[in-house]
Amino acid sequence: MATATHKIVTDPLSDNNPITIQVLGICSALAVTVQVETALVMSIALTVVVSCSNLLISLMRNHIPSRIRMIVEVSVIASLVIVVDQVLRAFFFELSRQLSIFVGLIITNCIVMGRAEAFAIQNPPGKSFMDGLGNGLGYSAILLLVASAREILGSGSWYGIDLFGENFVSLGVAVLPPGAFLILGVIIWIQRTVTRNFKDD
Amino acid sequence: MQQADRQLIRFALTICLSCSIILSAVAAGLRDRQERESELDRKRNVLLAFGQEIRDPDTGRRLSGEVVESIFTSNIREIFFDVDTGEKVPADQVSQQALQDRRQRPLFFWEEDGRPVRFAFPTSGPGLWAPIYGFLALESDLNTIAGITFYRHGETPGLGGEIEREWFQSQFVGQRMMADGEPVQFQVIQGGVSGRYPDGNPHAVDGISGATMTGRAVAEFISEDFKTYNSFFERIREAGPESLMVSMNI
Repeated sequence: MATATHKIVTDPLSDNNPITIQVLGICSALAVTVQVETALVMSIALTVVVSCSNLLISLMRNHIPSRIRMIVEVSVIASLVIVVDQVLRAFFFELSRQLSIFVGLIITNCIVMGRAEAFAIQNPPGKSFMDGLGNGLGYSAILLLVASAREILGSGSWYGIDLFGENFVSLGVAVLPPGAFLILGVIIWIQRTVTRNFKDD
Repeated sequence: MQQADRQLIRFALTICLSCSIILSAVAAGLRDRQERESELDRKRNVLLAFGQEIRDPDTGRRLSGEVVESIFTSNIREIFFDVDTGEKVPADQVSQQALQDRRQRPLFFWEEDGRPVRFAFPTSGPGLWAPIYGFLALESDLNTIAGITFYRHGETPGLGGEIEREWFQSQFVGQRMMADGEPVQFQVIQGGVSGRYPDGNPHAVDGISGATMTGRAVAEFISEDFKTYNSFFERIREAGPESLMVSMNI
């Protein structure tokens, strides 16, 4: 049992990563990864939302009428996202402005809805929470990887800390949207070469 | 079937009700803090427009709320004038309603050694998606731009959203709002100023690729707002900036 729970959390970190294997949630992975700081806040926001939504939906799973199942899921997710957004606005004003619409767009992030539908609706609360946590962390890992690569290549810094000094020649494309596609592509390529046994349709 | 339907409606209502109660509670509980943050951010942006560093030079962190407040109270004065008459409005005749209707407008100035050295005014207008709000700061000649910031907008991140970036805003510094004593139309030029004016143009800056409309909007509303303020600026120029201090009573 212990190993099963363990697997729920660790699987999405690499072998079943929501971004690199399932290719979900890449909209925000591309949009908020210019700097590590914004990526980190986005990661925390998503991890909180997906863990809590999984927990809440799992708690209600035996009472949710199946006909309005998805509407209920979306209501729960949307409420959580609004709470997170309001909290960010009150305590991290500048960051919340940089993240602008992307926090709100967590509502439509396929990972959150996907975990609710695929896992939380048919598993007990503890396991569901762990599944949410694992997927949130898996998403975060990739987001931070992409953001690190983009910030180092594009701005010569990491988490706002200058790394190379004055003479650094930045790679402009890294901070532009195409840079995110390139870096994410490379990461997915590496991931899929390492993880040979994923199911591809 | 009847039973199931009733159950379904009851469940849906419960979810709606609990979600709305939770959200209302959160929004109400955090409103004060959000408004405080938003006000602080506005002040930070006034400072930024004035060219004041808002980050600690040693740590790179943003100055704390208290520091911003203290710089604000020790250096920045806010006065109001009437748009129709171009006259300064005494502090006790300033009304929120008139400010909202834009019959009265605020003007900030940066005080050093008992005299105003720079001026700043709020400027805003319709952007492509949502209103853009900012501040425009002028040197004591009330013509040369000392700085500009945009602190609230709904432009597309990466395109029009670039107006909040330093590279865009720093272009304005040193440019001028007037020629031959008259306000001129400021320009944000797609493809770059040097393309159209090889000798340079003191009333224009480079536009942002993919944000033609945003650039046009910014140029339009800062020119318009400057024109509005200029009626009051005329008087300040005539009487000299020091004249503002006489009636300040501070």
